[in-house]
Amino acid sequence: MTLFDFARGPGMFWATTIMVIGIVWRLAGAVLLARHKDRSTPRGDNRVAAGLRAVLMRSVPPHELEKHITFQHLTGYAWHIGWFVTFLFFVPHMPFIESILGFGWPGLPNQAIVMLAAITLAILLLLLVRRIVHPVLKVISDFDDYVSTLLACAPLVTGIVAFAHLFPSHHETMIGLHILSVEALMVWLPFGKIFHCVTGLPLRFQIGAAFARRGVKA
Amino acid sequence: MSATIAATEERAALERIAEGVARLASSAPEVDLPADERVRRAKRVFIEKTDARVALDLESCLHCGMCAEACHFYEGTGQGRYAPIHKLKLLRKVYRRELGPFRLIQRLLTRDLTVAELEQWQELVFDSCTECGRCDMICPVGVHLSRGVHITRQALTAAGLAPAELRALDAEQKSTGAILGAGVEKLRSALEELRSQGIEAPLDKPQAEYLLLTTASDLLIYHRSLAATARIMNHLGLDWTFASSGFEAANSGAVSGDETAQRQATQRVVDAALACGAKFVVVPECGHAYPALRWEGPNQVGRAFPFQVLAISELIGRELESGRLRLKPLGPGKRVTFHDPCKFGRKGGVIDEPRKALAALEVDLRETESKGTTNYCCGGGGGVFFIGRAAPLRNAAFNIKRKQFDATGADSVVTSCGSCRMNFAVGAQRNNWNVPVESLVELVADGLAAPGPATDRGSVV
Amino acid sequence: MRDVLVGDYLRGRGVSRRSLLKFCAAAASWMALPPTMAQEIAAAIEKARRPSVIWLPFQECTGCTESITRAETATLESLIFDAISLDYQHTLQAAAGDAAEEARHQAMKENWGKYLLAVDGSIPLANPGYSTIAGVSNLDMLLEAAKGAAAIIAIGTCAAFGGIPAARPNPTGAVAVSDLIKDKPIINVSGCPPIPVVITGVLAQYLTFGSIPDLDRLGRPRAFYGQSIHDRCYRRPFYERGQFAESFDDEGARKGWCLFKLGCKGPITYNSCATIKWNGGTSFPIEAGHGCIGCAEPNFWDKGGFYEALSVSRWGTFGTVAAAAAVGAAAGVASAALARHRQAKAPEGESR
Repeated sequence: MTLFDFARGPGMFWATTIMVIGIVWRLAGAVLLARHKDRSTPRGDNRVAAGLRAVLMRSVPPHELEKHITFQHLTGYAWHIGWFVTFLFFVPHMPFIESILGFGWPGLPNQAIVMLAAITLAILLLLLVRRIVHPVLKVISDFDDYVSTLLACAPLVTGIVAFAHLFPSHHETMIGLHILSVEALMVWLPFGKIFHCVTGLPLRFQIGAAFARRGVKA
Repeated sequence: MSATIAATEERAALERIAEGVARLASSAPEVDLPADERVRRAKRVFIEKTDARVALDLESCLHCGMCAEACHFYEGTGQGRYAPIHKLKLLRKVYRRELGPFRLIQRLLTRDLTVAELEQWQELVFDSCTECGRCDMICPVGVHLSRGVHITRQALTAAGLAPAELRALDAEQKSTGAILGAGVEKLRSALEELRSQGIEAPLDKPQAEYLLLTTASDLLIYHRSLAATARIMNHLGLDWTFASSGFEAANSGAVSGDETAQRQATQRVVDAALACGAKFVVVPECGHAYPALRWEGPNQVGRAFPFQVLAISELIGRELESGRLRLKPLGPGKRVTFHDPCKFGRKGGVIDEPRKALAALEVDLRETESKGTTNYCCGGGGGVFFIGRAAPLRNAAFNIKRKQFDATGADSVVTSCGSCRMNFAVGAQRNNWNVPVESLVELVADGLAAPGPATDRGSVV
Repeated sequence: MRDVLVGDYLRGRGVSRRSLLKFCAAAASWMALPPTMAQEIAAAIEKARRPSVIWLPFQECTGCTESITRAETATLESLIFDAISLDYQHTLQAAAGDAAEEARHQAMKENWGKYLLAVDGSIPLANPGYSTIAGVSNLDMLLEAAKGAAAIIAIGTCAAFGGIPAARPNPTGAVAVSDLIKDKPIINVSGCPPIPVVITGVLAQYLTFGSIPDLDRLGRPRAFYGQSIHDRCYRRPFYERGQFAESFDDEGARKGWCLFKLGCKGPITYNSCATIKWNGGTSFPIEAGHGCIGCAEPNFWDKGGFYEALSVSRWGTFGTVAAAAAVGAAAGVASAALARHRQAKAPEGESR
């Protein structure tokens, strides 16, 4: 069994299985803790609407807050969008997506995707450097932050290396490494901060509803 | 009493209070506990308070650091350790090791909570946080950071590690119900003073629709605010009273995290309200008192209140809305800006009513860039005003507010919280800043449309 | 016969010098040598002694022999078969039975240490009876014949890597030549079957230089197996532009778009199909509208399906995902229940 065969076969099966077990375990373990009842009388009856509003509007903070986070805000969105467009619109990925969803969609030209992937990688590396030197990020960052960043970079790096045929007689291995890098990301997802992809929107809803209880638009 | 004399008296009173505050630390009861007992007590609080909502917070942070960019203490100092999420580190550590879904592995991979960490965190959750909640507004995933800070305060206090000044205030309010010596005697003499000015100030009516609360800062310094509040209540013809068994709105335990103190202070007010059958309890210009009573109170006493809690500005807004209150303009070209006290505004939900009042007074309102839910805290809330060694931090925060104010071109700052007023006064003095800070209720009282039984602004009785 | 020089032998068979030079020019081109080498290759071939080649067909389908020996037309390829002395090849030879085996032993003895051993088909190890020649197991015959060989050419994917018989679950225990012989140079000429001219090109190279050609890490001549199908495929621009056939005979397929989505293994297959092509340069599978099945690579039968694109991975089924979710839910519920129990035990917060 070559590296590629492992990655495409048992590797993907176990990565998927571990990822699903981990996500459900972590989510259930947190969300099923006790919920302390709030006996105060809420101001108004719009908590669900406020929660949904927060889900959307937390991405568009008011100007007076946003002006302090503009660089990070823009680069954060840029690399996330670049990462997901690369994943979802690169045509060679489409059969993989179709094998999961049962359907696909038109992709983008390969050269466009490669450029986007390279830009995304550059932004990620820039933000990694920022994490090391920024006065706040230096203090609060831990192992999880660095591993998660590197695992976000790895599929881009391995994908570009494979696509660019940097090792032409080892193409199968390079594709194998690419798939393995995605599997590493999947396995890490439930155990590090990438888990925010599962909890982020529900948490926005939670804080929107909580503040709406007091009549505050959060 | 003329405005100038009153202001001078207030400044003198504030200086006396500041001196008293400076002596607080030395009067604090010692809490001598062995290190492992401190850790045990802190852990117990962390474990008890981490419910499903807090757990979801702790599972979601992505260490983006944006919370720091909303925090006046970080903005004013550039110190990374003041990042709000960093304040929650101990809470998260205990959650992960004791309650989290992967706690078995976490226990192998991480170190347990230590007393050194608890001591180190005192500065982070007390000195450099006012629980203003501005960070709560910016977090891209919606972590409720200020709640996490409060839980950490509760844990530290249980471990005997609250700052000395707050421990002193807790001890006093637990034993006498009062803050900084503003007990029943002070209440009685203050009400006598009101009556001598021709302002009705009922005390201990057996039945009343409105129970009015007051607070130490009004009893000791801002007498005009107390007078203004009474005048407004009388002008509106409301059936109201003070109660000597429960008149202090401030809740030291709600600030320090001393749950016994918090519950006792709340219970006193609730009992007084029940005793006179009040339908409404009115909170004066004391910031933290409002969420402590309205939002946390029912959970402290274990049941929903049979009465409504209103901030005085909320009451004013309600009366303006219904047309029962009319205000006259306070003179053309009065350029003011409004400072939303974080505990009334972001943490309380009382944001529109002060502006309704200012609109009715037809002042020229120049809003600061950050206002309402994004307003910057004065820097002294959450008990920080009382912590002596936090003075440089408060000053850094003040300078941010000052820049906001100066940019508006307003002639005065209006606010609705005694704590904010005190903090601005100290900051103004330290930084040679001369813009007056005014009280909303005092302005409203000045603008009461029809002359009430009390005298008008400026006359001496 | 064996002492006759190749050049004389070819002339004796009516092969003109011009034909020989044409062959050598083509050989030079396949080996990525400059055209001027054609003369040198021709001179070397002429002066070479006809090497003895013993061809052992083991557990094979005879497809490799078929591919190479299209004897109906006198092709350039068949020239090389005139140049060598094929002393044993029991599909093609006239003799049979004991006489054939006798001929083989004779050839081995006379050319001990110098003959080329060509093998096609895999060698079954699970039971020697699965494939025998004259009662001798393939394994024994290979071990014996390899001892006196100068070099071994493993022809076809079965001999090179185990091939179809070695596909899961490999009931016959099929292995490649290189799994058994470790002390002789082995040239793997994989493919199912290999392109005919690749065989003859390898032989020509051996004849010319008397040495093993440059091999890749799978033991295949880099001259023919150094680039992937993908890198030489004429449909590559469509891959780059993202134009793919979605199903056989759809609009994209009829327009000749890339067959990646239909399972083409071109990107991971190294062979000369896209350049030299088949049937005298007529076409190759992709050009005929079917994706490359990767037949020159080890385990090509077990690389997912022929119609499963390279980017498809076996993540499981919705059933296995549901089972995983159930396991996670059970663990999470248990975790939360135990945690809540612990929280309930901690008494209501007295601060002192």
